[in-house]
Amino acid sequence: MAEQKTELKGGNDGWAGERGDFAHLSEADVRGTSYVGVRPLEGRAAGGACSYPYQLAEKHPEAPLFEGPYRERLEKIKSRYPDAQGALLPTLNLAQEIHGWLSPADMDRVAEELGLSPVYVRGVATFYTMYNKAPVGTWLVQVCTNVCCNICGADEVMQAFLEHTGTEPGEISDDGLFTCIPAECLGACGFPTVVQVNERYFENVTPEDVPAILERLRREAPKQER
Amino acid sequence: MAYPYRHERETRVLTEAFGDPAARSIEGWKKYGGYEALRKALGMAPNDVIEVVKASGLRGRGGAGFPTGVKWSFMPKDDSRQPHYLLINADESEPGAFKDRELLRWTPHQVIEGALIGAHAIRAKHVYIYMRGEFFEPAQIVGRAIEEAYEAGFAGADIMGSGISIDVTLHLGAGAYICGEETGLMNSLEGRRGQPRVKPPFPAVMGAFSRPTTINNVETVATVPHILRRGAEWYRSMGTEKSPGTKLFNVSGHVVRRGNFELPLGFPLKDLIYDVCGGIRDGRELKAVIPGGSSVPILAASECDINLDYESVAAAGSMLGTASVIVMDDRTDIVKAVRRMVEFYSHESCGQCTPCREGTEWTAKIMRRIEAGEGTMEDLDTLLEIGRNMTGTTICVLSDSCAAPVASSIAKFRDEYMARIRREVPAGALTV
Amino acid sequence: MANEQTETVTCRINGIEVTVPRGTRIIEAAEQAGIGIAHYCYHPGLSAPAMCRMCLVEIEGVPKLQPACVTTVAEGNNILTESERARESRKGTLEFYLINHPLDCPICDKSGECRLQDFVHAEGPKHGRLRDAKVVFGQDDFGGNILYDGDRCIMCTRCVRFMREIAKDDLLGVVQRGHRSVIDTFFEQGLDDSPFHTNIVDICPVGALLDKDFLHKARVWDLDHTPSICPNCSQGCNIRIDTRDNLVQRLRPRANPDVNSYWMCDYGRHSYEWMNGTDRIEAPLVRDGDRLVAQNWQPAMLALLERLKERSGTVRVVGSPMLSNEDNGLLARLAQLLGAASQVYRSARAADEVVLPGFPKLARRRELAANGRGLEALGFQRVGDDQAKGGLTSADVLIVLGDELADMPADFGSDASLFVYLGHRLHPAARNAHFVLPVSTFAEQEGTFTNFEGRVQRFWPALQAPPLARPAWQVLGVLLAGLDDGPAPADAANAFLRVGSFFEPFAGLTYEMIGTRGALMNEPVAIGAGGGD
Repeated sequence: MAEQKTELKGGNDGWAGERGDFAHLSEADVRGTSYVGVRPLEGRAAGGACSYPYQLAEKHPEAPLFEGPYRERLEKIKSRYPDAQGALLPTLNLAQEIHGWLSPADMDRVAEELGLSPVYVRGVATFYTMYNKAPVGTWLVQVCTNVCCNICGADEVMQAFLEHTGTEPGEISDDGLFTCIPAECLGACGFPTVVQVNERYFENVTPEDVPAILERLRREAPKQER
Repeated sequence: MAYPYRHERETRVLTEAFGDPAARSIEGWKKYGGYEALRKALGMAPNDVIEVVKASGLRGRGGAGFPTGVKWSFMPKDDSRQPHYLLINADESEPGAFKDRELLRWTPHQVIEGALIGAHAIRAKHVYIYMRGEFFEPAQIVGRAIEEAYEAGFAGADIMGSGISIDVTLHLGAGAYICGEETGLMNSLEGRRGQPRVKPPFPAVMGAFSRPTTINNVETVATVPHILRRGAEWYRSMGTEKSPGTKLFNVSGHVVRRGNFELPLGFPLKDLIYDVCGGIRDGRELKAVIPGGSSVPILAASECDINLDYESVAAAGSMLGTASVIVMDDRTDIVKAVRRMVEFYSHESCGQCTPCREGTEWTAKIMRRIEAGEGTMEDLDTLLEIGRNMTGTTICVLSDSCAAPVASSIAKFRDEYMARIRREVPAGALTV
Repeated sequence: MANEQTETVTCRINGIEVTVPRGTRIIEAAEQAGIGIAHYCYHPGLSAPAMCRMCLVEIEGVPKLQPACVTTVAEGNNILTESERARESRKGTLEFYLINHPLDCPICDKSGECRLQDFVHAEGPKHGRLRDAKVVFGQDDFGGNILYDGDRCIMCTRCVRFMREIAKDDLLGVVQRGHRSVIDTFFEQGLDDSPFHTNIVDICPVGALLDKDFLHKARVWDLDHTPSICPNCSQGCNIRIDTRDNLVQRLRPRANPDVNSYWMCDYGRHSYEWMNGTDRIEAPLVRDGDRLVAQNWQPAMLALLERLKERSGTVRVVGSPMLSNEDNGLLARLAQLLGAASQVYRSARAADEVVLPGFPKLARRRELAANGRGLEALGFQRVGDDQAKGGLTSADVLIVLGDELADMPADFGSDASLFVYLGHRLHPAARNAHFVLPVSTFAEQEGTFTNFEGRVQRFWPALQAPPLARPAWQVLGVLLAGLDDGPAPADAANAFLRVGSFFEPFAGLTYEMIGTRGALMNEPVAIGAGGGD
């Protein structure tokens, strides 16, 4: 298995999973990025215009919420539900997409936008793991340590990320680039250990891969005032 | 072909287009026969579509194995008083399951087409695809596919000129395993905490937004276009009598070839491990298999001479569930694996019901202590009794799922627990 | 569906046959049969989430135990609440409640009325098996009157549901998930401005929600509980007065579906200190020159009767809406006999009323006294302003019951030839009286109030009056007897009948008819017609 790994890595330094009998596929093929193309901020067809609770490398914690193309996307999203409350998760997703995390003021703003009570929004936001209740680094590194990855060495991968970023779980590294946390099953169990970094999955990660992954992320990080 | 390995013993129905990036687009999907089934279904009466799916014997692929056609027939036959909804459960979060992700990212239109046919059958005008928040890349792909479908007139108003209108909306979760439970999913869709609901009322009577709703797994709806195109009899020609058709087996753990394989139901587990998946890695021996995702009882190696269909696995004392086969070799620390599973359930418990809210974390605490070598004999009895109090006493079965690996591992791998339990009590120490 | 469904279903609960309307839940049917089913999250005034799992019962033929709070009775059900499975389930669930509970009964206010204590004592496990650290949350001040102890909380969510469904003031929520879940407000936002929020302390089954007013004040097993009516506005909420050492320690609502459901407002709940006031008039006082001299009752009453019979000039009578129909009714009769020129009362009024949105029959009414409507029915008229000031005129014969005259000038009534003051405290104006007679407050006697809609409701004595104080109806009854108007009533029930014999609105009503739920008086409920709404 180690051999095959080196071949893949020579071909591209992505971690888009074991390619087995499909070694001819590039990372873009597997991730589908060429099919997806560039998704406009305001969305196209309302059915596909959803918002995602993901982390963008580039965050704007002070930006106004729900203006411009975001407002357009939000209106499309709201139109898909019979009542305002149905749009709560998508609206929280959008707030986190812009700010990078959900502060009490964000929750209040979302509550106001949808006509819900603030404590209700707080209850929903704190129920779901992906809503960050504190700022995180440019790259949120989530390492699956659940059983399928665990029996294939996930704990060591988690340890390696903490060591190489010099952080405790949940902390932001000194250079502001990384926050590493353990995660529950990410749904790619055939490619242990699975690591989610912002919106991408890195699969088949071993402790030896960690420095190279971090190097790539440092290269890709947007220049951002902190 | 399944991904990322092809095997000659596979029967490729859903997975034929896996690994073909061109199949994601509508034009690419059409080359695989895409949207012919939808055209055919829209020309049929909804009840007739239900009958075809009933006749095929297709069983829900989300874990429960409930006959899909029967589930569809629970919906009211008249949607004039209240709109109906079809929800696609793409919240795949069960440890060991990674089949829906492949279906969503390789064949988004297969899923969309199946969902549209299902919506027509249950007279729903709106399909929500509830996808877990971590699936960004599949969500981008499915989002793009939805746009394509609308552009091509295959979704939205007057689909293919049939006069039938069905909307499709992609909705993302935000990280909660319990939102894969059908009533938890509905609550999450409605913008609430994703806590399961008491049943009755059942979703077909009062579901999402208080309206009649059906929830189907991704793999289930992905099968529907094939059944419509090639017929119920064809589908029944594969698999077993009570478990017809093919299944995506998602195999993880200590096998040489991990991944998704599409095989007829009833395929022998031993063949799956040793032939299709190439046997145990590094020349090790098999120790245990979890056949259906972490929520089902563990099978010891000696119990693995079984066929993989719903009945046979149940007869062996476990469940086929999502067919997420986790293979453990003889180096596996069973106590550590079970501890991690229990921690997962504790982390994911929604917190409504007392036995689950308190019992999962209590079980986790004891498991941690046992793993650290600080356990006692009493702890084993306590674990089993906690598990009994957590089974059958709650609104949903998350607590049952936490108890299952604990009980089955203590029964079948007791020596591993015993090895960690301090048996020597220093002279003069107090007994508790 | 063409099948005709019957209106009722019959089932057996623990062997007892019960017939109930279709749609009745098992827990309700059991109550009818006299069987209590242990529960936490269910409350008859709120929605039922079926999440505490305490009320699981066994139904013959059904494999899994079912929650009695949401499962409706089906025809022929054989329900067992005390089967081995049901009891084992409760015992197991109670153990789960206890493992993270601080077990700090010695310092917990709820001790003695705590349903965790009660159920564990009845059928919980005898020993704890947790060997690990407990989950800890700590205390939180929710603002308003509420302290929250997250460690004691059993997550029944009654408080959240009360605020959302009844107070319709969504200020509480469950935050986090799983074993980390806890009740909280929206960060610094508190319960301060929500006028009914203290009801959550009553419905909390354990000591997780504490009323700051009652904190560490008294042990509940030292308290006496007396059914009564809240005197603080004209809604007439049914309450329970809890006392110890002859002092009111707290007020709690009593359920009455026609008046206040299970609730009361915070204003009424916390306005009880006045019942504990000291500096009471200790004995009958009779004027001798410019001094008031203490006297025994008999000589004082004889002297007063003499003076009444000799009276001349205008008679004016002042009643009190804080005193009962019996007290004010006999005063009204006296006014009739004496040919009084005016019968008035004063009461404070708020600027608006505060309705409980989830049960709109209940509101903190504008009139901040209990018996204004009763007085209107007895012929009294309201005078004075909304602060209960002014409006009083002196007279030759002035009889004042209850009104403290605190705002009147020091010489008010000094020009009367006969000034009788029946009251509780001696403010300057009352010192001008010729006869000062100590009477009991409503809390110290049996009687009735009439609420804003004309409902007559009974209350019972919760405190002991100063030894020489008497109920006003007793004093007035003796005076009426002395004026040959019939025998003095021997007890409050007879005083009430006597009032009914003179005043049509109360005619025909008896204490038996009123019972503990109240009865409407004999006139249509006139909205806005006097009576303080």
